[in-house]
Amino acid sequence: MTPLIDVVQVSIDGVMTGSGYALLALGFTLMFGVMRRLNLSFGAALMLGAYAAGWLHLHAGFGALAVAATTVVVATLAGVYIERLCFAPLRGRDAIASLVSSFAVWMQLEELATLMLPRHTNAFPALMDGDPFLFGPFHVRPDQIVMLVIAVALMLLVWLTLHRTRAGLALRVLADQPGAALAVGIDIRSTALMTFAAASALGGIAAFLILAGDRQVTPMFGMWATTKGLIAMMLGGLGSIPGAVVGGLALGLIEAHAQWRLGPQGRDLLAYALLFLCLVWRPGGLFGQTLADTEATARARL
Amino acid sequence: MLEIADIVTGYGKIEALKGVTLSAAEGRITCLLGPNGAGKTTLMYSIAGILRPRRGSIRLKGEEIAGRAPDRIVASGVALVPENRLVFPQMSVRENLQAGAYLRRDTAEIARDVEKLFDRFPRLRERAAQQAGTLSGGEQQMLAVARALMSRPRLLLMDEPSLGLAPLIVEEIFRIVAELHRDGTTIFLVEQNAHMALKVAHHFYLMEQGKVSFGGTPGQLAEDEVIQRAYLGTRR
Repeated sequence: MTPLIDVVQVSIDGVMTGSGYALLALGFTLMFGVMRRLNLSFGAALMLGAYAAGWLHLHAGFGALAVAATTVVVATLAGVYIERLCFAPLRGRDAIASLVSSFAVWMQLEELATLMLPRHTNAFPALMDGDPFLFGPFHVRPDQIVMLVIAVALMLLVWLTLHRTRAGLALRVLADQPGAALAVGIDIRSTALMTFAAASALGGIAAFLILAGDRQVTPMFGMWATTKGLIAMMLGGLGSIPGAVVGGLALGLIEAHAQWRLGPQGRDLLAYALLFLCLVWRPGGLFGQTLADTEATARARL
Repeated sequence: MLEIADIVTGYGKIEALKGVTLSAAEGRITCLLGPNGAGKTTLMYSIAGILRPRRGSIRLKGEEIAGRAPDRIVASGVALVPENRLVFPQMSVRENLQAGAYLRRDTAEIARDVEKLFDRFPRLRERAAQQAGTLSGGEQQMLAVARALMSRPRLLLMDEPSLGLAPLIVEEIFRIVAELHRDGTTIFLVEQNAHMALKVAHHFYLMEQGKVSFGGTPGQLAEDEVIQRAYLGTRR
């Protein structure tokens, strides 16, 4: 018999981690919605941002806020580079072309990052120190609270941008019906570029918050961010904004409980098993379309 | 209004349009008829800039628009009601209309135009908050027309608006075409339904295998022959 208190405490931790996953999934979802393509090098772009910031932390003594800004700016530039190189020239081609090219850029960005900081483990500044807050019997670390608050604020910002601005309208129109987007005068080139930049900036903020919690960055971060974001997006549903948020939180919760019961190996095993089961039984995820549907709309793209 | 001269558009090595020349007069309804695969939709996409013509000229009120980006062509006053309607399925009817006005900046006027179009298409007002993908085929067609009108076009391109619709709905769509004409809109219409098209058209063209094979007024050719050639092409 496990005490309820433990279950709740693990769930709280899971939601905090899950809010980071949700931001990564949101970045993937925005790009997928507009391009109907997976950007495998998303995690690598965030890693490059984190490594550039880590380098400046090590050699120029950058503090937490300057490191955060550097992570976001470099990740955004890397996202723009990826869009121009792997996605813009291959628009309308088979999915495999951009998949392979984004994989190649992943390797390229990872090499670049490890040239900057060749050690496996590199220091990353913490956002804040301090004792955990106590809410009755439960404790929450201050940086977890900051992550949750920023994640919720960013989700609201994304929602408002999509539904209240002209750029958001262009993005939704392009995601919904690419064929007609041209007919109403959407400029696909600039909308796709803007989407990649925004998704990478979002991912850069998530990367900073996650790494500041870990206080270190390793070359595994690119792979880690890509897989977590992808699993969370697939759980929630391809191309669905609410799906990304729910998928991220669900993944965080499931991982936290699996880690508690089964240990770290069991946690990762369960996350991948869940992705597999989800693809078999509910290929559209909780909210989204199926892969076959999205392939059909991708073919309608001109 | 629209002057097309010797347009060639292709996909890879295949030339779908092999030098098309035609025109659409201001304030008139011009129809383009022809069998499947004749290149009608390719011509519409070429005018709208979605496909880039290899050669030839497309003039809108004397201004060359061939080779311009699609958003610049919308901005110069051409709106396309695409084949198969292509409404934005996951957005509401109202949002679909707002998307049609994407290039306009006059927010107050846009809101007024939405209301005007709701007056014209009361069914769309009833469904204003509904996702466009849940509308019937006829309603989606009305929405596609209304969305195109939101850009306040000088020239309205309609690609097979009757496709896949029940006969009663087809009649309603053609009533709308006639109404738009009465309001002074210049219409260039691609159709498979030659019978209905000849009733509203002032001028029509027959297109076969990427070329215009006839151009004239509806009285100039027996309807039987038009239908024969529009569905099957010329017997050789």
